[in-house]
Amino acid sequence: MTEQTEKAVPAAEAPLPRGEDRTAEGHRIAPLRGELSNTAAFFWGFTCIAVVLAVWFVITAGPPGEAEKRFVSPTTLPSVAETVQAIPRVFGERKLVTNTLVTLKRVCLGFGLSCIVGVPLGILAACFPALRAFLAPLMVFGRNIPVAALIPLTFFFFGIGEFQKVMFLFVASVAFVLSDTTAAVLDVPQRYVDTALTLGASRWQIIMKVLGPLAAPSIFNSLRLLFGLAFGYVMLAELVKFGSASGGLGDLINMSQRRGEREPILLVLVIIPMVAWAIDRGLWWLQSDLFPYRYGGAGLIPRFCGWLLHGRRTEFRP
Amino acid sequence: MNGEAAPNRPDAPASMRPAPVDPPGDGRPAAVEFRGVTKIYNEGTPREAVAIRDVSFTIPDLPDKGEISTFLGPSGCGKSTVLRMVAGLEPQFPPTSGSVHVLGRELVGPGADRGMVFQDYTSFDNRTVLGNVIFGLECRGVPKRRREEEGREWIARVGLDPRRDAAKYPHELSGGMRQRVAIARTLVLRPRIILMDEPFGALDPATRLDMQDLLVRLWREVEATVMFITHSVEEAVYLGDRVFVMATTPGRIAAEIRMPAAEAPARETQVEPWFHEQVNRLQAQLEGIEAAASRPGK
Repeated sequence: MTEQTEKAVPAAEAPLPRGEDRTAEGHRIAPLRGELSNTAAFFWGFTCIAVVLAVWFVITAGPPGEAEKRFVSPTTLPSVAETVQAIPRVFGERKLVTNTLVTLKRVCLGFGLSCIVGVPLGILAACFPALRAFLAPLMVFGRNIPVAALIPLTFFFFGIGEFQKVMFLFVASVAFVLSDTTAAVLDVPQRYVDTALTLGASRWQIIMKVLGPLAAPSIFNSLRLLFGLAFGYVMLAELVKFGSASGGLGDLINMSQRRGEREPILLVLVIIPMVAWAIDRGLWWLQSDLFPYRYGGAGLIPRFCGWLLHGRRTEFRP
Repeated sequence: MNGEAAPNRPDAPASMRPAPVDPPGDGRPAAVEFRGVTKIYNEGTPREAVAIRDVSFTIPDLPDKGEISTFLGPSGCGKSTVLRMVAGLEPQFPPTSGSVHVLGRELVGPGADRGMVFQDYTSFDNRTVLGNVIFGLECRGVPKRRREEEGREWIARVGLDPRRDAAKYPHELSGGMRQRVAIARTLVLRPRIILMDEPFGALDPATRLDMQDLLVRLWREVEATVMFITHSVEEAVYLGDRVFVMATTPGRIAAEIRMPAAEAPARETQVEPWFHEQVNRLQAQLEGIEAAASRPGK
């Protein structure tokens, strides 16, 4: 804002044209879309975390034992120290690790089912326009339906057990997997199909040897992003439930809410993004390694598989 | 762009040469014959566009030799349409009217008997150089060991190093090397007709000359009929035994010129006086065609 006000002043003592009156210093600190060094990137990232923690600390600070004097009451937001003290309880009594694994298992089953159904069907839909047109209404419906509203229906269809949660995830994500796969295959340039045709490939060979493999990097990338989405949906399935405790991070939040404990909820909310982020990074590594020609990875897994399949002729260079 | 350091293997073993074709007989069908071929897109709609109109030409099938025909002309004259039609690729194929005959038979669709090299790099990114070269053999169901052997030989023949380059992926190659792979991938299938749609258009001049020499050498070996599109008059004159000059609106063949066959390497030939003369004459002809096309009220 101040910069603008200064600019508005008549340009009496500003002989330089507008483009040159900025110092190189300004460009270094806030480069326009430029590269940032790792150190600087970490610095800013940690600054953000520090600012959030500082604000949290300040608004919940107060003399011990006089909770009423805090700016934000502990019934709304517990202090940093109280939350940290709750960590052993969350890991021990509340079985955080087990519950995280339960949640992960559900996502993997539900989303895995989506992939098993959605990827092959999506590839076929991209290859055969009639099938694509046939599936179009399902894709539009599946992508635009408010997912939360599906939960009551899934209780009727799939009961109230584990099966319901897995099927809910499947129903919620399969349309996205299907349409992203279709888009990825449609994105493969026609010239590859033309080339394959002039090399004598049959239709089936074009699908299996050209379109599928060439679309694979984009498909994997979509699946990685959609996995994050599915991880969000599983919370929904675990928070809205009938019957007794069924485990999972959502259940842990539910239980804490009923008992009026804020600290475990806060901790779980911190853990969930960290787990999701770690999985995403892991999948990203896998993706760049599987498709080095697209994402510049080292290609360790493909080379290792080649080495296993073809022996030492293609040397394995880690 | 000097990734072209790979040594050109002078000669591959004679045992690998394609089996000699049938002995020459009279009345041998032409390699490629267009009979009054017209292609109109979106016929009968406001977006109607005539790609080529009433194109007729014959490229004879010279026994045990083949011939290189080059196609030259301004953008939009239908060069690619002609080539893709011979390949049997949609949407250029089938023609709106007229017929295309290849080796005496009317075309029905694409096939490995007509190999094609495109201007855009079309190496399959997920396959190594070897995997790319043997793609066609794989589709034919040639046993693994044999197709890899043949693939390696062709990698050597196009001037790449089978030991060092075979396991590389296309993204690790220069443009010239990628086109070498594309040529090997096509020729390993021994097509009778090789279609080349400006294959060297994106290469730098030095690489381009190397590739021209490579093409002439391989062509002598495989004895196929080559149809070659180019924007470069020099390239058309050097490579072509026959140059088709095409004109636009509507796309048609304006002239067919016989050329002396390429004997010496590209760098030597392309500084000789007769070569320059030929190039200048063709250039003038092309400019005349373009001027005629842009004249209003034509």
